[in-house]
Amino acid sequence: MRAAIAIVKKDLRMEFRSKESILAMWIFSLLIFVIFNFTFEVSRLVMLEIAPGLLWVAFVFSGMFGLNHSFALEKENGNLRAMALMPVDGGQIYVGKFLSVTLIMLMFEALIFPVFIIFYDLQLSLQTFKLIPVLLGGTIGFTSLGTILSAVAVHTRNQQILLSLLLWPLVSPIIIWSVTLTGMVLGGEITASFYPLLTRVVAFDVIFFTLSYMLFDFILED
Amino acid sequence: MAIPALQIKDVSKDFGRIIALRGINLSVDPGEFVSILGRNGAGKTTLLNIISGVSQPSEGSVELFGSDPSDRQNKAKLAVISHEMFLYDNLTAMENLEYYSRIYNVPDSAVRVEQVLRDIELTHRRFDLVSTYSRGMTQRLTIARALLHEPALLLLDEPFTGLDQHAIGMLINLLRKQREKGRTILLTTHDLHTAKELSDRFIILEKHRIVKDGMMADTDPDKIRNEFFSASTAGVEV
Ligand SMILES: Nc1ncnc2c1ncn2[C@@H]1O[C@H](COP(=O)(O)OP(=O)(O)O)[C@@H](O)[C@H]1O
Ligand SMILES: [Mg+2]
Repeated sequence: MRAAIAIVKKDLRMEFRSKESILAMWIFSLLIFVIFNFTFEVSRLVMLEIAPGLLWVAFVFSGMFGLNHSFALEKENGNLRAMALMPVDGGQIYVGKFLSVTLIMLMFEALIFPVFIIFYDLQLSLQTFKLIPVLLGGTIGFTSLGTILSAVAVHTRNQQILLSLLLWPLVSPIIIWSVTLTGMVLGGEITASFYPLLTRVVAFDVIFFTLSYMLFDFILED
Repeated sequence: MAIPALQIKDVSKDFGRIIALRGINLSVDPGEFVSILGRNGAGKTTLLNIISGVSQPSEGSVELFGSDPSDRQNKAKLAVISHEMFLYDNLTAMENLEYYSRIYNVPDSAVRVEQVLRDIELTHRRFDLVSTYSRGMTQRLTIARALLHEPALLLLDEPFTGLDQHAIGMLINLLRKQREKGRTILLTTHDLHTAKELSDRFIILEKHRIVKDGMMADTDPDKIRNEFFSASTAGVEV
């Protein structure tokens, strides 16, 4: 884990120094919230219906910023090649990149969530804590896949297009389930299907993470 | 007999329909300093990439110190210097070196980092971001980064190209020291005189093959130039 930790420290240090990802995430998310809050005159009921989807749109597009930025750093001075030359398992490098992107995204989510609650005038209760495993599960699914696919896409010229093409189809089930789960919590209607669905998200996380961990060595080679 | 530092057997490499290397055989003993000469497109970079394990040969085999280049203990012994910096602009020299010393598990890393910073005369700027460095300073830091973990095998791909005079002098000195320490060094270059000054042995790659493998001591660089890089086959500065 020594190398993975070194990578996380390096990435977080650079992020806190430049704040590039977090700033882009904030601007983008606020824009979404503002547009949907003031442009569409919809009833509160309808708003409650679409709010969970908006929240995840903000998370996921912000996550794209995070991923692109994280791998742009590795591309800039041939650092990706330096990674291929490192005397450590590709899996460790994967864990390092995965953790740093995930931590940055989670930090951002924790900051933006209160803003979201205020914008949409949502009620908080003890139930709201059930969002924590939902946000973790959805975010980890997104970043575990996004990290390996970014590493694939970064070698190509149309990096961002390729990343989107690869990532969206694979990650959309997790995002759709996360939206459903978020809706249940925010709407105060946690039904019997909540835990089975959450389990399904976690199962996909485990599968994506494990596969990526094992495959990352191949990705780093030409 | 000692295990060779590098043993290449019948290596060929194609990129689709493009031929890069054909039938390469090469054995390098520990402590040897070999210059790889050849025109642009001869396959020098491809050969170094195959040796470092970042690229796989289409045919043939490569062994470093008796085992596969992708083995972890081999990667720990290896350093590559090329036109790529392998540095983060938004970190200081110190932070870059500390990061790589953790990755390479460098013993006594604080002392070692200080030492390489002194070798490249950047101690006074160690807490400044790399993005504020001049090109020459960045290049020196690239060299320091590569030598940080005391690599047993050094691969240098046209390391003098684009360096300023100060950095060239520094690199030549550092390479001499590396050689005295018994490190194995492979270097590609256009510069026959520097090659002669530094290396024991040279090979010439032409049209994807090794066309000459000789000792530097018995060779006149001007003769090599006339024989292999003559004016009629222009396009190379030698
Ligand atoms: N990634 C690649 N894809 C396609 N062709 C390549 C690639 N790398 C090298 N080549 C080709 O292989 C040949 C040898 O290139 P290279 O090893 O870079 O030569 P040198 O370093 O001696 O100038 C050239 O014809 C080059 O165009
Ligand atoms: Mg080259």
